[in-house]
Amino acid sequence: MRLHPFRLVEPASLPDAIEALGRLDGEARLVAGGTALVAMIRLGLVKPDRLISLHRVPALSQIRVESGALELGAMATHADIERSRVVRDGWPLLAEAVRRVATPAIRTSGTIGGNLAYAEAASDPAPALLCLHAEVRVDGPRGSRAVPIARFFRGFYEAALEPGEIVTAIRVPPTPAGARGGYIKYTSRSAEDKPLIGVAALVTRDAAGRCADIRLALGGAAPTPIRAENAEGALRGETLTDAAVRAAADLAAQHADPLTDLMGSADYRREMIRVWVRRLLVALRDGAS
Amino acid sequence: MNLAFTLNGQPCATEAPEHWTVLDLLRDGLGLMGTKYGCGEGVCGTCTVLADGRPIRACLVLAAHARGRALVTVEGLEADGRLDPLQIAFAERGAAQCGYCTPGIMLAAKALLLENPAPTEHEVREALSGNLCRCTGYTKIIEAVLAVVGTR
Repeated sequence: MRLHPFRLVEPASLPDAIEALGRLDGEARLVAGGTALVAMIRLGLVKPDRLISLHRVPALSQIRVESGALELGAMATHADIERSRVVRDGWPLLAEAVRRVATPAIRTSGTIGGNLAYAEAASDPAPALLCLHAEVRVDGPRGSRAVPIARFFRGFYEAALEPGEIVTAIRVPPTPAGARGGYIKYTSRSAEDKPLIGVAALVTRDAAGRCADIRLALGGAAPTPIRAENAEGALRGETLTDAAVRAAADLAAQHADPLTDLMGSADYRREMIRVWVRRLLVALRDGAS
Repeated sequence: MNLAFTLNGQPCATEAPEHWTVLDLLRDGLGLMGTKYGCGEGVCGTCTVLADGRPIRACLVLAAHARGRALVTVEGLEADGRLDPLQIAFAERGAAQCGYCTPGIMLAAKALLLENPAPTEHEVREALSGNLCRCTGYTKIIEAVLAVVGTR
């Protein structure tokens, strides 16, 4: 069961990779870990003439902190991120979400840049990165630009990438001081599935226990990962009473625009958003400070 | 394309077409049939091998990406004619039935034990969550892995 044949280009620098991607002879695809693309080729969903591997481009897999922000090279694997002491200590919400991606063997190969560029609605890291106000760095024929992650997902499996552009890094600002975060992945069949829905939240409460800031983001709830802004708005400045949380969860469910697929119907997804937004916010409210 | 890597502890230099995966390379290029083709989409886990001590899906990883890495397949689990403790535990506890998933499961378990020599049952289940077995119901598999770490 061989893959449809393709030529493999292995550029040794970023400019070479951009140049290879921009050539106009047939369809070229970037390959990082291959966990999504190779499966798509196997299924016949895409038949590229040329794969451009990023494995030989130096420095794309670094994980480091710069001026307080986390800099993840796009080729950093989920396995590296989940094991990184820096990430676990400073960005525990991201570590928690990345640990939930698929299975250990997929996390060994799959990269954070590939995950985002694939622009899957049911991404595990995307809701966490939405809550953390991450920026996606993109390099292309016209130079480098930073895209706020809230504007990175343009549509169903469509990222805000122009022809010839490559995701090269993800910058994550510091986790807000005193914030409590959590990620819930709800699967309808078994643990290694993509999430039926995923819910990430980051809550900062003031001395009186009111919600000074809240960020709430959903995977599997719309054609792209989304922030649940109306639910956030309803809770900002409020105390997280059961009634307030329930009302916010209702808003998040109403705001969602979920799809029907093999894992569940749109109605079921909407109902599960209601349930899991409530449970996550209650858990963050009641957990040890 | 030329490829050089370490295979089951030995240096290996070979050639392969550019569109081959690690699984094509192992089975068709090198004749190592222990690693199985299951779903071809990274879901079932039976093609799991180790790359630098971590589990990978041989059906999804391009052969080119094995360059310079240390691969271990089920053929490399035994050393000096002695079975790996995992292989002994699987045999003694009847943790295989049809056997098709067994190489992948043993390598997924090996990866866990390399990183965490004393896992809990929960950690074993999590590490094997990507390996499907349609025969055993998993009970004896989990027992066999836990037997190696001496907790059952």
